[in-house]
Amino acid sequence: MDEQTLRTCGILILLLPLGGAALAGALGRPVLRGRTHWPVILGVLGAVICSFILLGQVRGVEATNSHSVTAVVSVYEWIATGAEAASGAAKWFRVVFLIDPLTCIMLVTVTGVSLLVIIYSRDYMRENGHPERGYERFFAFLGLFVFSMCALVLSGNFLLLYLGWEAVGLCSYLLIGFYYTKPSAAAAAKKAFLVNRIGDFGFGLGILLIYLTFNALDYETVFAMAKAGETASGVPLTEGRFTAIALLLFCGAVGKSAQLPLYVWLPDAMEGPSPVSALIHAATMVTAGVYMVARCGAIFTQSALAMTVVAVVGGVTALYAATIALTQQDMKRVLAYSTISQLGYMFLGVGVFAATSAIFHLYTHAFFKALLFLAAGSLMHGMGGIIDMRQFGGLKRIMPWTCLTFWIGALALAGFPLLSGFWSKDEIIHRAFAHNAILGMIGLVTAVLTAFYTFRMVFRAFHGPQRVPEGVHAHESGAWMLVPLCVLAVGAIGAGYANVEFERGGFLGCFEPGGSFEEFLNPAVIAFERGAGHAVAAADHETEYAGGGHGLMYLSAALAILGIFAAWWLYVKRKGIPNRVANALPEAYDLSYNKYYVDEIYDAAVIRPLRGGGRLAFGIDEYFIDGILWLVTAIPRLLAIMLKSFQGGSLQGYAVTMAAGFAVILLLMLMA
Amino acid sequence: MPEPVTSHYIVIGAALFALGLVGFMARRNLIVMFLSTEVMFQGVVVNLVAFARMHNHLEGQAFALFLLVVAAVEAALALGLVVLLHRRKGTLDSEAWAAMRG
Repeated sequence: MDEQTLRTCGILILLLPLGGAALAGALGRPVLRGRTHWPVILGVLGAVICSFILLGQVRGVEATNSHSVTAVVSVYEWIATGAEAASGAAKWFRVVFLIDPLTCIMLVTVTGVSLLVIIYSRDYMRENGHPERGYERFFAFLGLFVFSMCALVLSGNFLLLYLGWEAVGLCSYLLIGFYYTKPSAAAAAKKAFLVNRIGDFGFGLGILLIYLTFNALDYETVFAMAKAGETASGVPLTEGRFTAIALLLFCGAVGKSAQLPLYVWLPDAMEGPSPVSALIHAATMVTAGVYMVARCGAIFTQSALAMTVVAVVGGVTALYAATIALTQQDMKRVLAYSTISQLGYMFLGVGVFAATSAIFHLYTHAFFKALLFLAAGSLMHGMGGIIDMRQFGGLKRIMPWTCLTFWIGALALAGFPLLSGFWSKDEIIHRAFAHNAILGMIGLVTAVLTAFYTFRMVFRAFHGPQRVPEGVHAHESGAWMLVPLCVLAVGAIGAGYANVEFERGGFLGCFEPGGSFEEFLNPAVIAFERGAGHAVAAADHETEYAGGGHGLMYLSAALAILGIFAAWWLYVKRKGIPNRVANALPEAYDLSYNKYYVDEIYDAAVIRPLRGGGRLAFGIDEYFIDGILWLVTAIPRLLAIMLKSFQGGSLQGYAVTMAAGFAVILLLMLMA
Repeated sequence: MPEPVTSHYIVIGAALFALGLVGFMARRNLIVMFLSTEVMFQGVVVNLVAFARMHNHLEGQAFALFLLVVAAVEAALALGLVVLLHRRKGTLDSEAWAAMRG
């Protein structure tokens, strides 16, 4: 790897989208107006190209003992702390890029999906060909988001990670609240921001604890010490310390990646425009938590408890969110719960020491979930903003391309054999089974539910008798929206093959999971194979497949098809059944439809007490503290009442006073 | 008729000054108030000339000439201000500007 190339590309990946955003923000309204998307598109395109150059550089390296696939590129020195200056060697909080396979995969995924979404937004953010209000703002924020996300992914220390982490949170807030005149959107933005604060508080504490423990913040030093299990001065570290750090970091991941119990902001975040949901709340930002846990494998794998927590939280969230998605009526909400559920899969993967599989799922998920959101957005755009599935149906003739691409995305999400979601999800389930049968079962059940709710949506929206609400001129979207959809559809079909090899005797006779993607990524998340006493040796994994152990793959394929078939049966063939089921089990239906009343519970348990506390504090401030201040200020006020009569404002009054004063002075002087 | 001495001039100056002061305090018309300040001013100028004569200097007299010029300039400025004030309130009453009532 050529360090100069790495540095240049890294800087360009950050600065090009930022520059595009700045141009869009500064020149958008006065000059560019309807052309504001161009600087952002070009900036992100540059970032895509640089990401691929980085990928090529890293791929070109053979990982041997002398050659590491990890490159640390220092960009500039940022902050010098007193402690470091005192220790003699001037270590700095540097702006450092860590470039390894994990970074490259994240960068390519993030910038690639971003580019497609931004191209798509060009038409989506228009009404009848005219840019919507806030068009310039929208693109400037998107560019800023790409910059922040790339900073998060590229960073080589925890400080820069935290910076990117907060910056993507900010962009998420700004874009959820894009239609800020709508009260529900403003409330959703606020909710997202506040819920993320809870997670980020833990994350910040985790970073502080890392600094206290290791006296360093850059990944290299910290992870080297974590792997060795002792600090630089040779003090051994207890597992309790690792557990504390890992759980605090995971707290941040739970907030950002919308896991139980902090997932509540993500469904509401669908108030933002659909491209935002696709990019930030499905493909990229919400996966930052998975990325972070995978990145910090050296710390997490040192603590068995932390890994169990990650796996259990992931597994339970996957199942839980899937049960809610079964009954939602708003397509974007279904997709939001599906995203939460899929993120749960990823955490499940990380938690069972299968970080490669988790990142693989992250990568395929980015394609098909972005595709689903964009297709849902295309539908919404064509329907004039209506997304409630009760109001329309049978749109396949009106929107053939949207329907086709949505089908592909849905098949991939459902884990239909040979599409990308199948390969990645199957690997996670497989590894979960190898780790713990219960977690594996949760994965399988969730897979059926996923297939069912996804196709419930497909059949209700696109099949059956055609229904369009009164006064809506439903139409197919234009090329600016359809081309990104088609590109993503190709990705949703083919992205999985990065980790599939063609080999005789594999799945269906010719497919063998586990290939170049995994080998490429492995050195970056190597800690997950070495976890103290929990190693699931890669060799086992290989032999299991090679020994004809594809049973689980056939099983999950069959379950996916079963789910799809059940959805077809209930929503196309026998349409009365869903209502009868809902009527027969009203409690269960209401529980799922009302999202287990979690929002209401949080309202009663957290928000109301906090608001009561706020009122109390306000009352104390208003009456007690202000009362004291009033008393203190009474003294000058009394003085003023006595003195103010001298300032009458009358000119002659002043003249008389002045003359009298002179007279007195004169008298005194004469008498002296 | 005795030769006037310095004290005569000083008494005249003091009288002028006192007249001006009384006028300034007693009258409310802005122009008359301004005139009164001029009268006080001239009382001071008379003093200057008187002392200059007493010490057989020319400085005091020269200074008096300068003061006259300054007074003329000041009169132009002050009368301009009076005109503006009159335009604002439509009256010359100085009490009209007593906006600050403690």
